[in-house]
Order: sequence, then structure tokens, then C-alpha cells
Amino acid sequence: MALTLLRGIRTPTLLRANFSLLCTTQRHPLAHFTTRAESVQTTEPKAVPKSIQQATKEAAEQKIQGFESVIGIETHVQLSTITKAFCSCPNNYGSQPNSTVCPTCMGHPGTLPVLNAKVVECAVKMSLALNCKISMTSKFDRKQYFYPDLPKGYQISQFDIPIAEKGYLDVDIPVEFGGGHRRFGVTRVHMEEDAGKLLHSESGSYSQVDLNRAGVPLLEIVSEPDMRSGIEAAEYGAEIQRLVRYLGVGNGNMDEGSLRCDVNVSVRPIGQSEFGTKVEIKNMNSFSAISRAIDYEISRQILLYKESQADQIVQETRLWDESSQKTFTMRKKEGLADYRYFPEPDLPEVVLTGEYIDEIRNLMPELPEAKRRRYENIGLSMQDVIFLANDDKVAHFFDSTLEHGTDAKLAANWIMGDITAYLKDEKLSIDESKLTPLELSEMIAYIKNGTISGKIAKEIVVDLIAKGGTVKSVIEEKDLVQIADPAAIEAMVDQVLTDNPKQLEQYRAGKTKLQGYFAGQVMKASKGKASPVLLNKILGEKLKGSC
Amino acid sequence: STRWSLLRRRPLSSSPNAAPTVGPGPLEPPDLPRLANSARISLSPQEAEEFAPKIQQVVDWFGQLQAVDLESIEPSLRADTAAGSSLREDKAEPFANRDAIIEALPSYDDPYIKVPNALTKE
Repeated sequence: MALTLLRGIRTPTLLRANFSLLCTTQRHPLAHFTTRAESVQTTEPKAVPKSIQQATKEAAEQKIQGFESVIGIETHVQLSTITKAFCSCPNNYGSQPNSTVCPTCMGHPGTLPVLNAKVVECAVKMSLALNCKISMTSKFDRKQYFYPDLPKGYQISQFDIPIAEKGYLDVDIPVEFGGGHRRFGVTRVHMEEDAGKLLHSESGSYSQVDLNRAGVPLLEIVSEPDMRSGIEAAEYGAEIQRLVRYLGVGNGNMDEGSLRCDVNVSVRPIGQSEFGTKVEIKNMNSFSAISRAIDYEISRQILLYKESQADQIVQETRLWDESSQKTFTMRKKEGLADYRYFPEPDLPEVVLTGEYIDEIRNLMPELPEAKRRRYENIGLSMQDVIFLANDDKVAHFFDSTLEHGTDAKLAANWIMGDITAYLKDEKLSIDESKLTPLELSEMIAYIKNGTISGKIAKEIVVDLIAKGGTVKSVIEEKDLVQIADPAAIEAMVDQVLTDNPKQLEQYRAGKTKLQGYFAGQVMKASKGKASPVLLNKILGEKLKGSC
Repeated sequence: STRWSLLRRRPLSSSPNAAPTVGPGPLEPPDLPRLANSARISLSPQEAEEFAPKIQQVVDWFGQLQAVDLESIEPSLRADTAAGSSLREDKAEPFANRDAIIEALPSYDDPYIKVPNALTKE
């Protein structure tokens, strides 16, 4: 009797993880959705991948032509616990392969899993954030399948009684994609363990397994089929990532596989009540890839409908290929996979108390949706709102600045403009900046009362981010106080006009655009300290008088 | 076709949604090729013939067990639960005898576990 371990690969849920690994060479450092808002706010609105907008537009046009797409998403969130789900092995990304392993996570006989309390806490946090109904009693089940990265031959998961179900998620569609508020249903949230990592040798004659990830805790979040376009799906995924990061339950990094999305796409003629055949897509490493993959798949399916080849749309798993921007068949499904679920006899039921849930509820931070509504109410534009609430660290910096009484719009402009641009160049995050919210508010106050010009402030802010310190000390140290003495500015204007007789002559001959040139020269002479308002006023008068 | 799904017939699930078949009933004979495939075991036709009656014996034995009257017995499906007490604190304790488990691996290609090519599909 020969063991043929690898025959007949079923459809293990965990396979997606392996696939992102298989295809590392196809990975592009694509602009993640989360950074998209940043690019909008800085000087490069063109950084928004044009293809997405184009694809969305096309998808929208096709919808008008009588079709509707239905999209559902399964998201796997790796939890940033100190230890694995069912054993005390460290949960560290990037450790030496097969170093954080023990008999339990390697599936040795006679070992007993013991659930990590932190996993339950993370699951409850996430379930509350997803507005779910939490099961006071849930249980674990064994999901059986054979794959070399699953040492036990089964995955400990939750089958018929997940820890939470029936929730929803509110998102704001970015303005550049048409805007609008959407609510997507969440079917369920359950706890499970991750599988190991499978690598393939160059010769392809054998595979290599790293079991460090085996037993790492995951939350699987299943959405209702409520999304209708790639953008909606990507925004749903981005919001899950925000929740994960706001709550601190995981790092949400898609490139490390800490956040993985699998999408199901089907298309149906408008008016048809039953869903079309559902196709699963995997292997997307960014939210923009999710959006593009879905829109491609929608177009592919609609085209088949139009060519009366709807029977060619079959239930299958397709892989997104980044280089060709297309989806390809990975495997056709022959009926439903038989995972032979049964209750995990080694683990007791997970029993929660009302007090426990309330305790967690009371410690929940303000979530992105609540932040966005609050920012909207203080009068910020939707673009600002979405940008600021995108990253909890940025939101926290913004909120702290407002606590010092700073005008919201001014604070938002500084954070989204110069500060973000500088941090981006230096590849720093806002909490690595030495600029404090207090000093930002001080600086804005100094501009407001005329002590410094906005131009000078742009230099000060860079200084503060890099070196810290107070605005006051930088101003004194570098002698940056704005020159607001009309006589001093007049003297500088006179000097510049005297020094540039040729330009002055041209100005007099009608080339009035040269006023900007003179203003620049005066500003340069003042080392940027001249009050721009006074300078322009005095210069204007002088030039007019000289004509 | 005959389907041998012992586990599905038994009222193992505590789900309120599941409606398991309760009580003893005649068990279908095992579909040996399907069973072997589920367990990733290759059987020659001769071996299959040899095993069929043995597996049937096991099934019959479960049939006997199913005949036991359990009316008054509380189901015992898993370890007992006392709220909160069964959980482990999130504190790392690296396994001390890693060398021994690595030693026990049938095939090791430092630092990876070596397995047959997993890309080859059926």
C-alpha cells in the first residue's frame, strides 16, 4: 500500500496563501489602495492608476448594457499575537524557517491544542467592529484535507457555529471613483489556524515546507455578495485593513500575506433573480489588483454572455496574473469539496460572558467610519475626510492637533500637504516624525498672527519633522521672523528695481508679468522673510508709480 | 452510487441547524475506492478486494455501537468547558527540544522540510 500524499488536491482554503508564495516573481510593488489617497492629495493626481478608473468606467458602461455583477469576498486576517493559536510557539513573521515549531503545530500524535486567549479577544474586537452578532458559545471543528503544508491533515476551524455572524461594514467610495456611501453585509467571522508555507525548488522535482506559519491564528471574514464593482470590492478590503490596523489585531500587510482576499464574481442579466455561475479569483496582492482583477473578470463573463457562450462560465478558481492583467483557470471544481467537518474533540467550546464582551466594547477605539462622519461634520471635504481617516496614526496626529485649538482645515492642509510629502520622500510614517501635534498647532498660530510667512513655515516644518524641537526655537535660531516693517521692505524693493534696470524697462514697455520676477528677487533678498502681502502691495505701488 | 459517510450520519454536530439522522439505521457498504482516495491511499484492485470485508467489519461494529440506547446519556463530544478557564495566556514558550523533532522528519533539506513536488496534480 503506497501513500500518495499529494494526489488529488482538493480545494483547501489555505491554498491561496501558498499561491501568493508561488508567484512571488509576479509581484509588483503596486501602489496600494491605502496610499492612493495620499497621491491624490499631493501634487500628483495622476498617480491614481488610470486603468482602474478606465476599468470602472467600462464596467459601469457594461452594466448599463443590461448586466449586473455580484461580488462576494472572503478575507483572511492574520492576527499579531505573540504566540500561535493552539500552542506556545512564537508567532513571528520572517523567522528562520522551521524554527518556531513544536510537536503541537507539527501535528505529532498525542499533542493537545490549547486556545490562545488573545485570539478570542481579537475575534471579539473585530466582530464588534464589523457590527456582528456574537455567539456566546461557539466551537471548533476539524476541516480535513491533504496538503503538505498542513501537518495534521486537518485545519482547526469553525464550521457551523462561528464566533460571530450577521454584521455589516460601511465604506465611503473615494471621490475620484464617483464617491458615495455603501453598506456591505458580513455573513460571518470565524477563528482558525493558518497552514505552513510551501516553496518549490527550482528544478521542480520537490517542494520545501516551512511550518513557522502552521498554527498562526487567522480570522476569516466572509462578506455577503453585496459588491457590484471592482472598486466597491477593493474599498471593502481596504476598510477591513483599516479596522485591523485601528484595532491593532494584525498588521494587515498584503505583501506579507497577513491580509488575503479571495473574491467570488458572477454576472447576470439585469432582471434575472438567480445568480450567475460563480468564479473564484485568487492571487491578488494589492487592493488595486483586486479591483482590476474583478473588473477584468466581469468583462470576460459579460462577453461570454453576449456571445451566447454563457455555458463557458464554469465554477472554477482563476488566478490573477499581474503581468498580463488577466485571470487564468487554475482548477475547475468537480462538485463540492468534501472536507468531512466534525467537531474538534480536543478543544472545549468557546464560552463568552456579557461582561467580557462589554469590557472589550468599552476599550474599542473610534473606528474609521465614526471618524469619517466626525470629520465630515466639522466641515472637511470628502477627499480630506477619507485621507485623514485612512491611517489611524495620521488620524490620531490630526485629532491631537485639533485638541490644541487649531483650525481643522489648516491642520488638514499641512498634514496632507507638506508633512505627507516629506514623510513619503523620507519613507517615514507619521509616528516616526519628530514633529509633535502641539508644534504643528503652534506653527499654524505663528502664521496666523503674522510672525512667520507660510513660505518660511514650509521650511520650519521640514526641520521639525527631521530634528524636533519647538517652532519658537527654530524661528529664533534661524532668525526667521517675518519682515513686516514697510520701510524695510520698501528699501529692498528699491534696491531690486535699481539692480534690474533692463527688466524694469521691459516692464514699462508693457511686460507687466515681470512683477512676479521682481517679487521673487525681493523675496530672495529678504531670505524669504518678507511678508508677501506687504511686498506685493509695496512693489505694486512702486511699479505703478514708475510708469 | 453508494456513499459511505459515516461521520455525516452520526449526530456529532451540536449545531442547531444540523438535522442529523438520529438512531440506528442500516449502514451502507463502504465505497472503498472513494474511501482510499479521501485518505490519499493507493490501493491495487487486489488490495481493495482484500480490504473491503475488513472495512465492512469495522462498519458493522459501528452498527452495533449505534444500536446502544443513549436516551438518558448526555452527549460527550469534546473536552469540558468552564467559561474562560480553558484558555491559554498569550505568552511564548519556545519548544526546547526542536532538534529532536527535526531529527524525526523523514526528509529534511536544511532549513526546510522536503516533500514530493506539490505542484503535480492528479
